[in-house]
Amino acid sequence: MAAKAKPVPQVALGLEPGPFHDRLVAHNRQQAWMNWMGYASPSVLDTVEFEYFAIRNQSTLFDISPMCKYAITGPDAESVVNRLVTRDIRKLKPGRVAYCIWCDEDGNVVDDGTVFRLSETEFRLCCQEPQLSWLEDIGWGFDVQISDVTRDIAGLALQGPTSCALLKDLGLAGIETLKPFGIAGFEIGGAAVTISRTGFTGDLGYELWMEPGDALKVWDALMPAGKLRGLRVIGYEALEMARIEAGFLLPKVDFLSAQTVLRADRANTPYELGLEWLVALDKPHFNGRRALVDLSKQTPRRKLVAIEIERDKPAHNALVYHKKTREVGQVTSALWSPTCKRNIAYAWLEAPYGQSVTDNLWVEIYLQKEIRWQRRMARCHLVAKPFFVHPRRTATPPADY
Amino acid sequence: MSGRYDAIIIGAGHNGLVGAAVLARKGKKVLVLEARDHVGGMLGDASFRVAPLPYALRPEIARMLQLDQKRLHGAKPVETLAFGSDGPPLRIIGGQVTGTDAITEHDYAILHARLGRQARALGVMMLQSPPGLGKASLGEMAGLAKMALKMRLLGKTEMRDLLRIILSNAWDLLNDEIGDGPLAGALAMDATLGGAMGPRSPGTVLTLLYRMASQSSHGHGLRVMPEGGPDALVKALSDCVTSAGGEIRTGVAVEKILVDQDRAAGVRLQSGEEIAAPLVLSNASPKTTLLTLLGVEHLDGEFIRRCRNMASKGMVSRLDFDIAQMPSLRSGGKIEQGQRLVFAPTMQAIEASFNAAKYGDLPERPVFEATYDTTAKRLCVTAQFTPHDLKGGWTDDAKSALASSVMAALEEALPGLSSAVTASRVMSPVDIETGYGASGGHWHHGELRVDQLLMLRPFDGAAQYRMPVKGLYLCGAGAHPGGDISGAPGFNAARAALRDGGH
Repeated sequence: MAAKAKPVPQVALGLEPGPFHDRLVAHNRQQAWMNWMGYASPSVLDTVEFEYFAIRNQSTLFDISPMCKYAITGPDAESVVNRLVTRDIRKLKPGRVAYCIWCDEDGNVVDDGTVFRLSETEFRLCCQEPQLSWLEDIGWGFDVQISDVTRDIAGLALQGPTSCALLKDLGLAGIETLKPFGIAGFEIGGAAVTISRTGFTGDLGYELWMEPGDALKVWDALMPAGKLRGLRVIGYEALEMARIEAGFLLPKVDFLSAQTVLRADRANTPYELGLEWLVALDKPHFNGRRALVDLSKQTPRRKLVAIEIERDKPAHNALVYHKKTREVGQVTSALWSPTCKRNIAYAWLEAPYGQSVTDNLWVEIYLQKEIRWQRRMARCHLVAKPFFVHPRRTATPPADY
Repeated sequence: MSGRYDAIIIGAGHNGLVGAAVLARKGKKVLVLEARDHVGGMLGDASFRVAPLPYALRPEIARMLQLDQKRLHGAKPVETLAFGSDGPPLRIIGGQVTGTDAITEHDYAILHARLGRQARALGVMMLQSPPGLGKASLGEMAGLAKMALKMRLLGKTEMRDLLRIILSNAWDLLNDEIGDGPLAGALAMDATLGGAMGPRSPGTVLTLLYRMASQSSHGHGLRVMPEGGPDALVKALSDCVTSAGGEIRTGVAVEKILVDQDRAAGVRLQSGEEIAAPLVLSNASPKTTLLTLLGVEHLDGEFIRRCRNMASKGMVSRLDFDIAQMPSLRSGGKIEQGQRLVFAPTMQAIEASFNAAKYGDLPERPVFEATYDTTAKRLCVTAQFTPHDLKGGWTDDAKSALASSVMAALEEALPGLSSAVTASRVMSPVDIETGYGASGGHWHHGELRVDQLLMLRPFDGAAQYRMPVKGLYLCGAGAHPGGDISGAPGFNAARAALRDGGH
């Protein structure tokens, strides 16, 4: 007599099921869940390699509903967002998205995220860490409404070379004309979906935003359409590989929010993070501006740099040395990049290393071979971000893969 | 904009006038702008003064501004009459008290001398810019070091004693030393007047010492009525400004502080007129200055949060009673010009009236101090624990309820008083707020609390008079060393501006 499979408890740990949970459960063969802002988020559903290669060669779906989302609306919305972020948001046109950072009064980065300008007076901020009380402080005294819409909007990242073709197959007229960082409204499976050409992979891709009630409808329309396009549901681990290649920083991994550090010197300025291109000192007052004006004239205490390491072993948690002897920094994110075929990493280097001193740098890589640890000194070189660059990311219209 | 003025001072309160005088005497072309039709701020309205007891102008300031010190500080010290629940009042001058038993007289003299020594050590910081947190200049640290040295020079026992009591409450200290009663009540009034604290609140020893750190030629903590009254003090200060070439305009309300390229550029009046100046000193309260006049768009979110959260809930109401014929005291004798009457029979009574105010109610039996002006035939009452956020608001009914409870207490000490009243007026903390640019109606512009003093006054990040917008300075009671009629915030702020180059 064949044994009948018993229903397995889906997610323990007291995590909240997201809007796509019912479908994710069905795909999650590993039952590997992680906690993302209280939601059950898959870290890997099947095999991380398959999922990673789907990002670079096919299409992938990743549930980004847990991302913190805030609506900033009202007559003063532009002033408030411009006061929040370091970029000049007055230059952001309706229907466009901008990657931004925001700083505290000492010029240290609080968080990074994307600002969606939905209209003249409506903005949406997407970021990793909860920011409501920060936004309320920034918006105090202005004619603006700020609300947490994290749970009012479901999000799906559809990323990969075939993603545009997939959406075209679904009949999304004009999706191929959507430029990088553009926003447009469409209909999928009878549900209204706002699509932005944004993502965390550095590849061609889109982010789809919808009402949580429509989430499964949209999913169920995408999956069959994706069959011939190699659509695959992915988890966080594959995305993490792609984001390192793409040159994106991750809070809590590469840097800490100024709001969460216990040691005051652990917070980081945009100049230390290499994000000075996001700071518009010439716009009207914004949070941290006076501190940033001073910081812009100083040499950063340390610098987050992109490095390429000789030989093939990824430099996880490695220390960085100058002339193999003087400890000058450490690695935060590391990866053997399967697409670039390069051994890449981000590392913090204390001044002057990584700034005026850039040669003769070594990383100490730790390898375990049959319960015995080995150390290996590998030379590393400062390189430019991103590691992975492909014309299809920005090509409009994207090619039919 | 034209550069006719080197500096604009917003508000012609005593601190604004002192600041203006310091700048004008250094050759700066200053313009003082006052919204009311009189100078002197809370001192200045002769028809209904917020602060009828203007006693504590720092002698150093009077000296440096070459004011007539004999006139301002020459009078004999004010005598305090502390009324108990019955019998004749105690009479207190400095460390001397009469009308109580010999032991209490002795203990009080010792306590007063001891607190005076300790207050003097703390008082070193009064005319110093408080050190910045994290990035203090050498000069600022020197001031702090001088205070530490003064404290050490008190001797080991007394320094230890100071450190033991400084954060504790007046209730415990006074109960230990002199016991509860009208004498302790009068001292506890000094410790709590104007603030949202009762004698049992932590930090009230510090506020008592703070008050005792005010100096006159007669010693610490003593207050003197200038010859000619408050008007003479105001006139001396405004004359000092104008004789040094300064200009004072009354009846002109500032609507906005103008900012250009992240620097103060002048002010815009409510009339729409714009006046340019590279230096702006504001005598308005920190909240009014920063949130209303400057505008939050020029400030960082954290700075605004600290400013908003600054404790500045006003507790004091002013009542004037016109009395044609002042009756005699219940124990015989008359009230004399210049006496200060304190109606706080015990510390317990003060604490009980604070309890009501904590929760937004008027106390059944308010505690208060009063003076009688024999020429104007007016009894001026400063009633404590009448909260700014009174439940139901400051309606006419609430005001007359307060007036009758004050009158009931006065009637006990001065039988027949209520029938001698020909007219009365009540000024609530809300009236003080709207009338004088003091947010929350707090007559110190901000609570004198250990977390709002020195390098934390008015709040962290705003303590060195200089505001984040260059060229803008706080010069009012909200700035260090805070409240009272000392002139020190205005003096220190003007000197900070001069040190920065005067722009």
